[in-house]
Amino acid sequence: MKALTKNLIFFMIFFFIGTIMFRYSLSYFIENRTYDLVWIIAVIYFFYNFFIGWIFGKKDYETLPLYDIGFRFHFATYLLFNIVSILWFLFDFHSHYESIRSVYVTALFWGIGIIIHLVIYLITRKNAILGIEKSEIFD
Amino acid sequence: MNKTNYLSELLSTWEETYKKGQLTLWIFLSLKDGKKYVDEIKCFIEEQSNQTMTCESQSLYRTLRKFQHLGVVDFETGEGNKGPERKYYFLTEIGHRLLENFIERNISLFFNKHIKNLITKED
Repeated sequence: MKALTKNLIFFMIFFFIGTIMFRYSLSYFIENRTYDLVWIIAVIYFFYNFFIGWIFGKKDYETLPLYDIGFRFHFATYLLFNIVSILWFLFDFHSHYESIRSVYVTALFWGIGIIIHLVIYLITRKNAILGIEKSEIFD
Repeated sequence: MNKTNYLSELLSTWEETYKKGQLTLWIFLSLKDGKKYVDEIKCFIEEQSNQTMTCESQSLYRTLRKFQHLGVVDFETGEGNKGPERKYYFLTEIGHRLLENFIERNISLFFNKHIKNLITKED
C-alpha cells in the first residue's frame, strides 16, 4: 500500500512552511516578551493546519478511500513538527527564554497520542481489505 | 395519501435501497461485455438497465480506482476520439472469478424454475 501519496506530500510541504513560520514567530514574540501575540499566532497556526489537513485529507480520500488516511497525516505531522522544533534549537534559532525541554515534553505527550492512534489504526485494519474498509468497497 | 401514491412511495423507497449495491454488478457486467472507457461504461449501464440505473462519471472513476487498487479491474490506455488518450478498463482474472462466483451465489437462483414462475406469475 502506498503510504506517501501525492496529497500527503503536498500537505507536508504546506505544513513544513507553516511550521517554520510558526516557530519563527513564536521565538520572535517570546524573545520580545509579547506573550499576547504568542496566543494569537498559536491559534492561527492551529486553524491553518486544520484547513490544510482538511483540504488534502479530503482530496486523498476522494482519490482512494484508504482507512489509514487519518493516521498517516497525523504521523507525518508529528514527525515534521518535532524534527523542525529540534532543528530549530540545534541551529540556535530559538529565543533565550525557550528551553528544548518543552520540545521533548511535547514530543512525549503527543507520542502517547500517536500510540493510541496507532492502536485504533491496527484495530480498524481487521475490517479492511488492502487498506479499504469492507463497508466502503461495494457501497 | 391515496393508494397509488402510497404504492409509488413504497416502491421508490424499496428501489432506492435495492439499487444502492447494484452499481458494482452493472460495472462488472459492462466490463464482461468487453473493454470500455468510463463514458462507455456509463452508457452501457444506463441503456441496459432501461435508464433505471444512472451514475455520474466522477463516481464511476472513483469506484474504478478502488477496484483497480483491489486488483479486480485494470486498464490500458488507448487512443481517444481526436482527444487525449483514454483509459480502457477491463476485468482481471480475479475480477472475472469474483463476478462468476457472485452470479452463481446470488443471481442464478432467480433462474430456478420455481422462483422464475413466482416472478412471472400474476396474483
